[in-house]
Amino acid sequence: MSAAEEVINSERVSAVPRVPVLNRFLDYISSVRLGVVVLCILVVLSMIGMLIMQQDVEGFDAYHVSLTPAEKLVFGHLGLFDIYHSWYYLAMLLFLSLNIVLASIDRFPSAWSYIVKPKLDATRGWLLNRRRHFEMKADAGDAASVANAIEGVFKKQGFSTKITEKGNAFFIFGQTGRWNRVGAYIVHVALLTLFLGYFVALQTGFNAVLRLAPGQKTNHIEMQTFDLDKKLNFDVTIPFTIECTDIQQKLINPEGDIDISNTMDWRTEVKIADPGYGTNTYEISLNKPLNYRGYRFFQSQAIAMGSARNITLALTPENGGNAINVQVPRGGQTKLADGTIVAFDDFQPDFALGQDGQASSRSSDYNNPAAVLSVTPPNGQKTRVIAFSPAFADKAPVAGAPKAGYKWRLVDFEKSPLAHVLSIKYDPYNASFVAWYIGGFGLVAALGFVFFVSHRRVWARIEQTEGGTQDIVIAGEANRNHASFDDRFDRIVSTLRGPEDQSNGRSIET
Amino acid sequence: MEEVSKLNPDLLANAIPTVDDRKTKSWTSYLPVIFVFVGAFSMLALRLEIGKSFISDGAFMMLALASYILAALFQLTNLYAPSEMSTKIGYWGAAIGVFFNLSSWLVRWVAGYEREIAQMRAAGNPATPWIFRYIPFANLYDLSLAFAFGAGIATLLLARRRNLQILTAFTLPLAALILTLARFIGNDFIDLPPVLDSYWRPIHVGDASLSYGVALVCFAVAVIYLLKDGVKVEAMAIWSSIFGFAVIATVSKFSVFSALTYRAGLFISNPASTRPFPTAFRLDIPFVGPALAVTGLLLLGVVAAFLVYIYKDNESAKRAGHVLLKAALVAQLMSIILLVYGIKTTTDVYPRLQAEMAAKPALLMAAGQAMAEKQEMSVEDRRALTPNEYEQTARNYMQASGPQMFLSLNANPVELSALITALVGTLFVIGFGFRTERLRERLPSLDSLDNLMYKTACLAFAGLAMLLITGAIWANESWGRPWGFDSKETGALIAWLTYAAFLHTRISRGWKGRSSAYFAVIGFLLVIFTYLGVSYLLPGLHSYA
Repeated sequence: MSAAEEVINSERVSAVPRVPVLNRFLDYISSVRLGVVVLCILVVLSMIGMLIMQQDVEGFDAYHVSLTPAEKLVFGHLGLFDIYHSWYYLAMLLFLSLNIVLASIDRFPSAWSYIVKPKLDATRGWLLNRRRHFEMKADAGDAASVANAIEGVFKKQGFSTKITEKGNAFFIFGQTGRWNRVGAYIVHVALLTLFLGYFVALQTGFNAVLRLAPGQKTNHIEMQTFDLDKKLNFDVTIPFTIECTDIQQKLINPEGDIDISNTMDWRTEVKIADPGYGTNTYEISLNKPLNYRGYRFFQSQAIAMGSARNITLALTPENGGNAINVQVPRGGQTKLADGTIVAFDDFQPDFALGQDGQASSRSSDYNNPAAVLSVTPPNGQKTRVIAFSPAFADKAPVAGAPKAGYKWRLVDFEKSPLAHVLSIKYDPYNASFVAWYIGGFGLVAALGFVFFVSHRRVWARIEQTEGGTQDIVIAGEANRNHASFDDRFDRIVSTLRGPEDQSNGRSIET
Repeated sequence: MEEVSKLNPDLLANAIPTVDDRKTKSWTSYLPVIFVFVGAFSMLALRLEIGKSFISDGAFMMLALASYILAALFQLTNLYAPSEMSTKIGYWGAAIGVFFNLSSWLVRWVAGYEREIAQMRAAGNPATPWIFRYIPFANLYDLSLAFAFGAGIATLLLARRRNLQILTAFTLPLAALILTLARFIGNDFIDLPPVLDSYWRPIHVGDASLSYGVALVCFAVAVIYLLKDGVKVEAMAIWSSIFGFAVIATVSKFSVFSALTYRAGLFISNPASTRPFPTAFRLDIPFVGPALAVTGLLLLGVVAAFLVYIYKDNESAKRAGHVLLKAALVAQLMSIILLVYGIKTTTDVYPRLQAEMAAKPALLMAAGQAMAEKQEMSVEDRRALTPNEYEQTARNYMQASGPQMFLSLNANPVELSALITALVGTLFVIGFGFRTERLRERLPSLDSLDNLMYKTACLAFAGLAMLLITGAIWANESWGRPWGFDSKETGALIAWLTYAAFLHTRISRGWKGRSSAYFAVIGFLLVIFTYLGVSYLLPGLHSYA
């Protein structure tokens, strides 16, 4: 047979075995590369949600009106007006979570092996291929004493060490920060905790609002949802009764308006009567919400209709005498020395008589403040008295006329809005807490651990040569923070070389 | 043949030396940073001692701006004509700039505190809120001041190694642009929205300024990397020209190319405070529109010429491109000068506005629409408004308040700063084109740049993560929900995801170098979008900062 025939008739070399489709698929969905692609998709989708106004943003109705019918149709059908709650956005987040889990499962064993099976020894060639390596020799001492000396230097630089002997060579292995190898996995566990908490809160919770004026009691809250330019409200019954006992607005200038620019804080005092847990009083103010049985109550808004939290009245007896000042809290009453009971029923910031003869206001500003009182003289009938400010009452005979034995003047009052609006988040499993406090802070702490600590390893190989000297190879590498590791390695090398031999020798990095 | 080193025999006698001169060396490299903090806190002490007559926060800010520009100039000169003196002046100039920057921020804290306390005492309110209520993290001016400081201090900390000090030549001009924006926003104090009065504000916004600062340094390192790696200066010129063109096309509500005009915003004075109200009206500044249009065309020409050069290797296209680039620089400079001059010297605002509105009623309608959008009205009411009603609203307002309207450099701070940034970009690219090979040689090694880029990206990533988490927890305490995909939250998330993609490409594809540098550039642009674009372009809960 000729050489050519041998070649032609040679046995067929078997083809590279095909990996099963399922394995290839699993490899693909657990790849970091795919994870990066999903991240980029999420970036694009998130950006779309910023550029196309979302339906829960204030001003959406005006924006929606300004769109062409085609835009409304296309954007609407694609779910672009509520993209962050769309099925495909949530699916991307879920898919990213799956990718993280699979990629972690794939890579964790090799990371774990760094911790449980450190590379205690290595060939000369392997060491010389490390990022940093250095060769030297020792004229004095035997291999064991040289190994001990080098181990001491490693320890001084903060490495925890181990000496092993293999064949006729001694190996010293030193490392710090080995747990950094699993740092990335801790980061991803924290991130997945955050995602999980977010999903659970999304599925099991809802948002609602509650408008409360002092004295108002209710066990209903209003759940709000958005459907394009429509706000839909649903009544929800809560398992306890909430009563507003006080509202207060802390102003920068107490004489100024009750608008937001003059406000430091809003405070709502509530009494919660719960069949299961009794009755308790709580305070809610800005940045200090109330957590109650999965319901979180937040100070959201104030209804900017002027009212008064307490009033100071100057009462001048009709028959003569000095004026007396009395203070009455909102919804409360006081008894005068002569037995007259003065109850503070209502307050009108810009008093006007309504068509039905009832007290009402022209506006919500404090233009003509008046306190509406119920006054019960000791042996008389309850009568309605309206106390105006001295500036108005002194000029208006009817308004300023005495009633129930006194001339009534409203001399001071603490400004307060008519009602507060609390926003409520229902989170029955405290999923938000788990997500953001545990997942969130865990993520930040884990990132700090990943980036500020690194796994540093150093090796030394000592081998006795035929001439009786010791051949030494020092090598080292770190998984990050290379510049800082280089400094450490250089110090090891200069310590090993000593002061007399600084000008010679090679310290090599790739 | 080199002799192999010998093991120090003393070690065999257990005499392992303990002297470690690393600590001494590293301590001195922190001197500029120590100077910044000691100096700035001394300024704070002096302000508390001397009172209002001490140097104002605005003056400190301008000193910081001047120092940053000077220091950058010295370091840039050093690249072309190295000298020990330029290096030292450049580096210490940077430290002085950061010192002025931090001093401005600290002095502003005291000034804010004194201002509100004076208001409260005048109104008879004896309360003394805690001092953190006044920490300068309330509006975009404060954040800009802190952002520039974050970039400065990150530069001083990261560029301690001698070979990396050149970083200041690239980061300080960017910090100076941030301070320029701050100057145009104006340092008037605002009334703090009550929801911001929380201990979370110093944590969250402080973290924002430091993270943004580190992201800025990462961006600068990426640019230096690309330069060192041999990216053609012409390619950089294409990107800077596209940016410049995009700015020109979008300012003044797209009127530069659509109507050859640039209209600057009008203010109306506010009797209750020094901070004026913006109006919905804008006034044409003569010649600026055509100047900007010409600039835009020149920049387009640059892009076209350099694209031809890069893809067809056409030398004459390259030469033409460089000529056009220089012409574009002159045109940009002229446009900005005309704009500033026009704003500063126009006195007859009202008659000119009346004439312009009469000639173009569509502008009246647009102004009326903008005013209506700011008002709260129901969907039905808004749908019912007709163009005539919009016009009437605007006309009524103009008649009532027109005589009080005035032009100001502070009316469109982002637009003006963007135009200046585009100019600086063009200037830098022209600079890079000068003795490019020599410049590349003087830059640090690719390896050290790549390491620094990775380190800063890691820091920015961790900082942005903390920003998102602290923001969510604060939002949970005050707005009632930890995450609502508000524009700013989403913007920060997008920037964070981009840095995440950057870090993961290094793992998965071993992507280093150029690809990583592109990611770092995109990440920083998204940070700027979060910092600025969200407040000015998009509505949402975060719109005050």
